[in-house]
Amino acid sequence: MAQAVDRSSVRTSTAPSGRAQRVGGTVLKYVILGFFALVTLYPLILVISTALKDPLQITVNPFQLFSSWHPQNIVDAWQIGQFGSFFFNTVKITVPVVVLVVALSVLAAYALARLNFPGKGFVFLLFTLGLMIPFTSVMIPLFYQLRDMGLLGSIWAVILPAVAGSAGFGIPLGVFLMRGFYLDLPNELAEAARVDGASEFQVFYRVMLPLSAPGVAVLSVLVFFQTWNTFLLPLLYLPGTENRPLATGLYQFAAGRTQDYGLIAAGALIMAVPVLVIFLIAQRQFVKGVTTGALKG
Amino acid sequence: MSRTRSSSLTAQEAADGSSRGAIGKRLNGTRGRKAASGGTIRGAELRTAALFIAPGFLLYAVFMLFPFIQSIYYSFTDWNGATVHMPFVGLANYIDMFKDPLLWSAGWHTVVWIVVGTSVPVAIGLLLALLLWSNTKFVVFFRTLYFIPFVIPVIVTGIVWGWIYHPLFGILNSMLEFIGLDSLTRGWLGDPNTALVAVIVAAIWGSFGFVTVVLFAGLQGVDRGIVEAAEVDGASWLQRARFVIIPMIAPVLTLVTAITLIGGFAVVDYIIIMTQGGPGTASEVLGSYAYSKAFEQNSVGYGATLSILITVLSLVAAVAFLRFRERDR
Repeated sequence: MAQAVDRSSVRTSTAPSGRAQRVGGTVLKYVILGFFALVTLYPLILVISTALKDPLQITVNPFQLFSSWHPQNIVDAWQIGQFGSFFFNTVKITVPVVVLVVALSVLAAYALARLNFPGKGFVFLLFTLGLMIPFTSVMIPLFYQLRDMGLLGSIWAVILPAVAGSAGFGIPLGVFLMRGFYLDLPNELAEAARVDGASEFQVFYRVMLPLSAPGVAVLSVLVFFQTWNTFLLPLLYLPGTENRPLATGLYQFAAGRTQDYGLIAAGALIMAVPVLVIFLIAQRQFVKGVTTGALKG
Repeated sequence: MSRTRSSSLTAQEAADGSSRGAIGKRLNGTRGRKAASGGTIRGAELRTAALFIAPGFLLYAVFMLFPFIQSIYYSFTDWNGATVHMPFVGLANYIDMFKDPLLWSAGWHTVVWIVVGTSVPVAIGLLLALLLWSNTKFVVFFRTLYFIPFVIPVIVTGIVWGWIYHPLFGILNSMLEFIGLDSLTRGWLGDPNTALVAVIVAAIWGSFGFVTVVLFAGLQGVDRGIVEAAEVDGASWLQRARFVIIPMIAPVLTLVTAITLIGGFAVVDYIIIMTQGGPGTASEVLGSYAYSKAFEQNSVGYGATLSILITVLSLVAAVAFLRFRERDR
């Protein structure tokens, strides 16, 4: 440290005036921030621009930005490209996953944080394991298991593994997140309710659950975005077209022999817009969800 | 894949961290309650706990723990996925694995993925977080913008980057031509020399915002006074970052590095979407190799063995990281 300061004092004495340096630094800072803003924006703009391109322009140069205005692509993708039906399939998968993950993790997390029973540590450890096992480690047997259960091809072939946490955010994550919230809640309120004669379930339902609403919001947002975007689960376990969600619908569409860039981009837009809107509305919960853990650790 | 794993570890940290502080509180609570109400409540508590945990645990056990154990079992067979009988072969798959040249090349690609796919987003994220933190205007705008790629579905990211790399119309080739480097233009995903790195770059686009946001949140705990004191002492911006600020956010930095790194072992989705491991096997990683063995070549047993290898590697990395951090404290 002393050495560092030493070296810098030499440098400042030879440098031009501090103000010029500071102005230069500020300019450089915004140049860097702006550059990465452009890098972030370009692919997003490319999708929007391509989704609005008319078929004639596409054959000339599909990726020239905003060379035409043809919103018909979005209507075509929704109707002809079946993205309307993919969209509703995605909703049919995402809503139950969010509801089930929240309901089941809230219950389990509460018991693990607030109740005392033998084997608690072990149960918790088993849930921990779920956070460490990557999807690759379960994807193969899960296929045959779902087949034997007769679920392959039905939306439950995605819902149930997603709720269990096979592909990321599920019960294991929910239990951890919510357990943290319940451990941090003060004990006095629960005690007061008990003194008033509330049962354990009433203590949970009337007192602790409402207090953990912010945690539930964070968990819901994370699980929503993960499930909406999930790709490998439907790729492996929803082979038919009937229940196909946006992720694999888009994949099949883009892998097709005819590259209809306008419709592919429109489909990508249909898939990305709901996530973007929810992200912008619930940004606080999003950021909180991904950062709380990091900071507490 | 990296983004799904990422939050899992984060959550675990959350639980870790909070449990430490709360143990004392909880002990007090229990002692008080037990003294007040005697033994009968314990039975009720146990019943409530069982009822609360059972539904979630059951689903988790059936669709996660059970298939995981099945994976281990499959890895000792050379089942093809079609026969009723699963021929038990002991450790043969594990021995074959070490003699499989494709495994070594997929392993090498995974190493490249982990090294490049971790160091670059962490470096970019650190730079951006530091810049945002140093009295920048429009902080909320930049932070929101950088985070957007992280929430964009991987399938969309993969498709759009495929367009950027397009041999005829992609902006990458257009830009190279514009600055006179025509000789470098190519079909980036179709060229065995560039396919893997091209996919990694798309994945970096999808993850640097996550690193930025987490590190920026970590910086909120840094005392600006100390940093200003260093500035008064004549430390340059780089020196302040290197010697004053970064040591203060070291735990978050290690964590976000570990999250990104561990996710890299199991990556499948980007590869399947963008190159399917090709051209040839030029961008095959361990995860996509396990996928193609099990689901495309009917070597279910061998595919399961590869998946167990991935699990072991990522668990070792996770444990090493936890040890490292414990020592740091």
